[in-house]
Amino acid sequence: MITTDIQITNRLGLHARPAAQVAQTAAGFNCDIKITKDKVEINAKSIMGVLMLAAEYGSTLTLTFDGEDEQAACKAITDLFANNFNEEF
Amino acid sequence: MFVITGIAASPGIAIGPAVLLPTADFAVSNQYIDVTEVKAEIVKFNQAVEKTLQDLDLCEQRLRDSLGAEYANLMSMHKMILQDPMLKDAAVRKIKNEHMSAQAAIFHTLQELANSFSQLEDNFFKERRNDIFDVGKRLAGNLVGTKNAFLSSVKRPSVLIAHDLFPSDTINLQENQIIAFCTDLGGKTSHTAILAQSLKLPAVVGLSHALRQTKDGDWVIVDGENGLLIINPDKHTLSLYKKTQRELKKAESLLQTINPLPTITADGKNFKLMVNFDPRTYTKDNKKLITDGLGLLRTEFLYMDIPQPPTEMEQYRAYLTTAKMFDRRPVTIRLADLGADKKPDFPLDEFDKDNNPFMGCRGIRLFLKNPELMHTQLRAIVRMASEVPAQVKIMIPMISCVEEVRHVREALNQALQELAQEGKKPVNPIALGGMIEVPSAAIALDGMINELDFLSIGTNDLIQYLIAVDRVNPEVAHMYDPCHPAVMRTIHQIIQTAHQRGKEVSICGEIASDAKMVPLLLGLGTDILSVPPRMYLRIKNRIRNLKFETCSDAAQATLLASSSEEIRHLVEELNQDEDS
Repeated sequence: MITTDIQITNRLGLHARPAAQVAQTAAGFNCDIKITKDKVEINAKSIMGVLMLAAEYGSTLTLTFDGEDEQAACKAITDLFANNFNEEF
Repeated sequence: MFVITGIAASPGIAIGPAVLLPTADFAVSNQYIDVTEVKAEIVKFNQAVEKTLQDLDLCEQRLRDSLGAEYANLMSMHKMILQDPMLKDAAVRKIKNEHMSAQAAIFHTLQELANSFSQLEDNFFKERRNDIFDVGKRLAGNLVGTKNAFLSSVKRPSVLIAHDLFPSDTINLQENQIIAFCTDLGGKTSHTAILAQSLKLPAVVGLSHALRQTKDGDWVIVDGENGLLIINPDKHTLSLYKKTQRELKKAESLLQTINPLPTITADGKNFKLMVNFDPRTYTKDNKKLITDGLGLLRTEFLYMDIPQPPTEMEQYRAYLTTAKMFDRRPVTIRLADLGADKKPDFPLDEFDKDNNPFMGCRGIRLFLKNPELMHTQLRAIVRMASEVPAQVKIMIPMISCVEEVRHVREALNQALQELAQEGKKPVNPIALGGMIEVPSAAIALDGMINELDFLSIGTNDLIQYLIAVDRVNPEVAHMYDPCHPAVMRTIHQIIQTAHQRGKEVSICGEIASDAKMVPLLLGLGTDILSVPPRMYLRIKNRIRNLKFETCSDAAQATLLASSSEEIRHLVEELNQDEDS
């Protein structure tokens, strides 16, 4: 299992498009992926779950990956955050 | 006859009978099923999901063709919601374990989800509830096979009156008999409004009580030009609108043909026509416009809804994407005009004791007190200018004296130097201009014109400050008058002073997209008009049908006028000439 903390650095937070990207990317892996914020834990493969976190700019999320392809999943998801979801506006 | 005023969301005029969109979203007809039916019910549920997925695919495709990827992505989000385990698994579990009907299972699952979202504090996330319901409604509709039953039951061309419309509703309107729509909720930049524009359906939104005031079958006029819904119009109004409607239709087909043509008057005088750009509401249709450049990029939106000011790189990326769309043409970026009615979320001391914000610390005044904000924005613009062939122009809002211009010039030079050291030099020299909207700047313009490379007249605020009238105050709002003699004379004086020093003047306020006022503005000597994309072709058409000589004569006459009345009369005369 891999656990990692991540801070949201894109200005609008995990709004519709980034949330969709997270859920879509997560759905491409077999391992379990959970995101926790303020004691709320959700399944990262669920777009509604990700939106429900209401993760705004500056908030911190804890990501856990558990399963065979956890390494690759962790890299794919953290890359999304690191690149600020390629947002322009 | 009864008239309701709302927000003009999509231009055009439609006349027809009203149909009211029923608001009862979910009528669960059958709460529980027999245990023997569970398997069949789950099959039914899955079939409905499949069917809904196909609908959304179609919708996505259509949006991609009409509005571009951004709106299509909205539908892909809906597809994800539909397939989300939180919806699908929960509903199937309710059918399996609680023997609920598929309909009831969807309904209860949606309720639970909506409740969780309602508890969120952040408005953006709270609003996602609507997306979930939008998907849920489709799904439930496919389950009982009544999808769009309402819209397809409309048998004659009608005006749809609704409390609110989802984007997915809107995209389906045209293939049914809907010729226009009105909603109680919504704003000018809502998804629904932008969709209506691209579908060319007249629409008025934000009407508050349209649904309550209208009855099924009432004859109504939707005036998407002025944001009016007219219920049961009298004969006179009806014939007036029928005439306007015919003219608009004629004009519309003509408009498409003039896009590639130059902006030139009938007697051969050339003007530049640019667009006021808002990257958040830019549609595929807008991208087809052939313009002389970007006349005004308002940058306040970058500062809104975030806890900290935008960074240099964030701004740079936004400017770069924008500038690339205009290739080698001018790109005018206005420094953020924060303050007054545009206050960011991050704290700034200057707003604390501001009883009269329109005369308070806004625009360049705020930036001079917070030089780091200005520095970041200037650096972001210079960084962008070093990578594009466009002619980048920076406009200073709210200048009132020459010292302010000098301060900004110094700050710009510093940013230029810093970036030069990082190896980033603008492809073309950056021009620095002023927005003339404070009367003191207009009157003492000769003292600062040498420090400015170009001028733009901010007519909205200039008129408000000249007449000392607060447009938001209903007691005096009617006094706000673009035809006031002082307005014409001030614009004239600004243009004369600028032209003596060989500087160009643009106008980018609301007045520039008022087809009736355009002849006077050109007659006064304006070099550039900048208008919102949706007005672009209309204004171009107006200019191409004008004679500059007539405009010039009329403009001279307005300078001698002693009342608004006289000027309005001149305006009417100019426009009648046009009609005949």
